[in-house]
Amino acid sequence: MLITRRSALLSAATVTSLGIAGRARAAETMKIGVVSPLTGPVAEAGRIQLNSLRLAVEKQNAAGGALGQQIELIVEDDQSTNPGAVLAFSRLAERKEIAGFIGSIRSTQMNAMAPDMLKVAKPVMFGGTDPTLTKLGNPWLFRCRPNDSYSGRVIVSFITGSMKLKKVALIHSTDAFGTGGKNAILANLEKQGLQPVLVQGYTNNQPDFSPVVLAVKSSGADVIVSYFTNEPDCAVFARQLRQLGVRTPWVGSPSIQSPVTRGLAKNALYGTYAVADFVEDSNPTAKAFADTYRAKHKESPDSGWTYDGLMILAKGINDSKSTEPEKIRQAILSIKKYAGTEGEYNFDQFGDGLHGYNIVINNNDKIDYKEHIEFTD
Amino acid sequence: MSDFLQLVFQGLGIGAIYALVSLGFVLLIRAASVVNFGQGEFSMLGAYLLVVFFNILGINYFFGIGLSVIIMAGFGLIFAYATYWPLRFRGGLPVIISTIGASIFLQNMVLWIYGPSTVPIDGLFDSDGFQIGEVFISSQYLAIIVIAAALVLLQYVIFEKTLLGKKLQATSQDKEMASLLGIPVVIMIMITFAYSAALGGLAGILVAPILFVSVGMAGIITLKAFAANIIGGYGSIPGAILGGLALGIAETLGANYISVPYKDAFAFLMLLAFLMVRPQGLFGEKISEKA
Repeated sequence: MLITRRSALLSAATVTSLGIAGRARAAETMKIGVVSPLTGPVAEAGRIQLNSLRLAVEKQNAAGGALGQQIELIVEDDQSTNPGAVLAFSRLAERKEIAGFIGSIRSTQMNAMAPDMLKVAKPVMFGGTDPTLTKLGNPWLFRCRPNDSYSGRVIVSFITGSMKLKKVALIHSTDAFGTGGKNAILANLEKQGLQPVLVQGYTNNQPDFSPVVLAVKSSGADVIVSYFTNEPDCAVFARQLRQLGVRTPWVGSPSIQSPVTRGLAKNALYGTYAVADFVEDSNPTAKAFADTYRAKHKESPDSGWTYDGLMILAKGINDSKSTEPEKIRQAILSIKKYAGTEGEYNFDQFGDGLHGYNIVINNNDKIDYKEHIEFTD
Repeated sequence: MSDFLQLVFQGLGIGAIYALVSLGFVLLIRAASVVNFGQGEFSMLGAYLLVVFFNILGINYFFGIGLSVIIMAGFGLIFAYATYWPLRFRGGLPVIISTIGASIFLQNMVLWIYGPSTVPIDGLFDSDGFQIGEVFISSQYLAIIVIAAALVLLQYVIFEKTLLGKKLQATSQDKEMASLLGIPVVIMIMITFAYSAALGGLAGILVAPILFVSVGMAGIITLKAFAANIIGGYGSIPGAILGGLALGIAETLGANYISVPYKDAFAFLMLLAFLMVRPQGLFGEKISEKA
């Protein structure tokens, strides 16, 4: 065979291009889309969520990633708004190579993105706790935090059982999260034959809560139950509550014990109770995660749902041995007794992974685990 | 009754904050015919400067406030040079758009430097406040009311009793005529920008212990302050003060006696009502097109 200069060059070019293609295949990653608040009022929570996600990616990649590929996050900023979230998700939806998504912790944003998520038809791990989100008939949503029907049940069970109190003043944000929480509390109080003495909604980002505080004061309530969405709102309310002399016991949704809220409200939150999905002393996975997080970021995490979400998504991909969305979905639904940072995951038919909550108390800025209330029905 | 008095006090406090921010708006409208949508960012920057001086560098709190206000005055000059000066002959709208652009730029700049964390900062006093009968008087709210009143008085003295004030007034009334009379119009406008930024910065510093320091801290306050400016009379100094106070009290009482979730709506309903019934506001002059 006559080897000409031209054929030699062609062969070399072919070998080189094959080599490049081979390397490109080897470097291919398993892409997971993330919608997160990088800017706007809840960007602080977004930062902690992303830090947790990156820890999960590091851990999973060290253990082999997903289907032998390293996991790579594709992050889009939701700007802490619903339109921002929809736009962020639509940018991710265009990328066909993404195997699954990490959605939002905010129910209102999950509601806004849910129709597009149904169209894209790939698994979305999310943290929003509005109970209706997994009952929308959207089979792609998987919740990595206990929903508000559980927080409502746990709060009502705690105040009527352990605290033996019955006159409830219910304060809630009027967004989807706050309204979902309010409905859950009302339903669970009704089951016990109780009516709240005050139900007071407020819109987010308020500079002054004195009308709400005075309404609590004159209601004769013996316990305050709250669903605050934004941490500064919770802190402003807490300080005005103490300033206006209200010392009524207070059991709140998780935001009341987050490090951000405690940092802002300081002693105004001492002695308050909260339901908490993530408590580092509540299980060994949470403890190990919190220790790793602290070693890396010099602060304690206030949540582990994005960490769990990524690990469960990777497990779903690995268990199904496929990137086919339906197979991953079935694999996630069959996950039982998985030890996550937020508790033991047992996915039900609706996509809810967790079915209970912890109760914690703020003892002079130290969050102490009090009890765990789990439901099996 | 005690609840009513408590609400009026809280309303006065929050209204005084609207009034201070509104005052910054009004001065620029009068002196340079500029509606400055970066006024809220002056407040945010002032508060962040105090965070740097007091929380980070550990400088004395009151010295830190003084330093922040002086730096904000200087920043007002830079702001004027960047947003107003190149567009000064192009009418009102380009300058308004330019200030909106500057406002977005400043928010993102602060976000880039400080990150998204909300920062708590100490108030002027160690004590939260004191009781008078059943009414709790928050020391920070009280300080805001007193400082706002003092600033209005100071402003009155400067505008009415000093030559500088007369020159500033002349500039705001008719720049061309003021210029013909030998008043350095450019310097007067620059002084107004500096004063307006200092005032905005001080408002931010005063409100920071109540609302905490964050990039978005001034958002709703700026909108309400602008509404207060329309209610009080577009471009009127007493109007800005009374508009702010009226708005603060009306929304606090409205929230308590009618509906908390619609609290923000009361402010804007009031604005709409004024625009329909008395568009010149409480103190404004009815302006018609000159033939």
